Amino acid sequence: MQLPPFEYLRPATLREGLDWLSEPGTETAVVAGGSDLLVNMKLGLVTPKRLVSIRDLPGMQDVKPTADGGLRIGAGCNLTDLLQSKAVTRRYPALADAIRAVGSQHVRNMGTLGGNLCLPTRCWYTNQSNEWRESRQPCFKTDGGLCHVIKSSARCHSLNSSDTAPALIALGATVTLVDRHGSRELAVADLYLDDGIDYTAMKPGEILTEIHLPPPTGVAAFIKVAQRNGLDYAAGTVAGWFGGATTRLVLGSITSRPVILHRSADIVAAGGLDTQTIDAAADAARADLGEVSNLFSPPGYKRRLARSLVRRVLQQLADLQGAAP
Amino acid sequence: MSRQIIKLTVNGDAHEIAVAPQQTLLEVLRDELGLSGTKRGCTSGACGVCTVQQEDGRAVLSCLALAVEWDGRAVTTIEGIAEPGQLHPVQTAFLEYGAVQCGFCTPGLIMTAKALLDTEPAPDEDAINEAMAGAICRCTGHIKVKIAIREAVKAALEGKQADAASN
Repeated sequence: MQLPPFEYLRPATLREGLDWLSEPGTETAVVAGGSDLLVNMKLGLVTPKRLVSIRDLPGMQDVKPTADGGLRIGAGCNLTDLLQSKAVTRRYPALADAIRAVGSQHVRNMGTLGGNLCLPTRCWYTNQSNEWRESRQPCFKTDGGLCHVIKSSARCHSLNSSDTAPALIALGATVTLVDRHGSRELAVADLYLDDGIDYTAMKPGEILTEIHLPPPTGVAAFIKVAQRNGLDYAAGTVAGWFGGATTRLVLGSITSRPVILHRSADIVAAGGLDTQTIDAAADAARADLGEVSNLFSPPGYKRRLARSLVRRVLQQLADLQGAAP
Repeated sequence: MSRQIIKLTVNGDAHEIAVAPQQTLLEVLRDELGLSGTKRGCTSGACGVCTVQQEDGRAVLSCLALAVEWDGRAVTTIEGIAEPGQLHPVQTAFLEYGAVQCGFCTPGLIMTAKALLDTEPAPDEDAINEAMAGAICRCTGHIKVKIAIREAVKAALEGKQADAASN
């Protein structure tokens, strides 16, 4: 597969990039590592006429401690570089585990953290070549009027498969979104929408520039289950954070957005991390998960996987909590 | 779209090449420079046969690298890992342990293994598995590939010990 023609723009400043991005009349996309965007362009899923490269903008590759004891990561930071940063691996090992779960080493050598957070949703009916897609009726994502996954559905059920998103949500991270009019902070928990097409709360013309981690407190863990141990999208992921009075549990890659498990977290917050509470919290995961599609794996499997993942991550948190000084 | 002249060093040789924005590093290596050792496989980052090394030794996928982004940079391809007529130790190990079936993935596997050894001199089993996960042999000949890599690691470590002893 070859790339269609486009114009490649390398802004000298963020301002210049934002101006290009919001120029009317020309479809413009932001590119950082390119390991996902270029594939989607080759498949004809997206057809930008211009690419604005943001990876080399000033500050985009910085990893800096913040005054409150947290960490600020530039969105253009390379994933392998982050795995070699002690500020990440020692202080946020659950995030490191999530980064290590992304793609293959080849892909991590090219991809960025911001890129993984902005990863488009996927579906086995759309993430195919033009020829393959043209053999079927167009779906919501390809400007048609149906969903091939759930025929009766009025929306697109493509899956969010970012490995780092659940981990960053569990860790309480926020992102900075910048446009020509200013910038805003958004919790990663609020970054995703439950829709396969409008999958993020980012507005047109916005660029994700930074990821902020709060100071590391409590214990955190991340688990990915996939058909293969490397270079595979997840069948399901889970990230958990236990801070004593509060807990955060997040499932990834099962629906169109990472699912925050409020009920399970409340059960753990009230009952702690003993075996009985863990079982109860795992059983409660299904309620927050709600309806799941049969995309990539059957709904029954996804629900059982969700319960198993929650139990496993809570057990890991219990072990980490027990080992903590 | 307008072409742009890029300065690209390939296996130590400096080139100035006019490239279009949509040309990948893979296309430039194969179609402009005639270096067809780097293979064109899935072209979507799933198979690893197009693996080349960037300056720090890391393995990257030339099918997903825009040539314009390689202006001023240096790349190592399978053609450049040993002097002409010589073999790189990883190539020697692949030969010796029969780690080749149809051969199409071999350049990608060798570049991936070399990148591993260049960035991690004594990789354990997990590190080998992790590094090689992104380079796929569709003939499924991974066991002999792993044997060859283990032997290449062993030979490199023994070589270093021998060097240390003779110094």
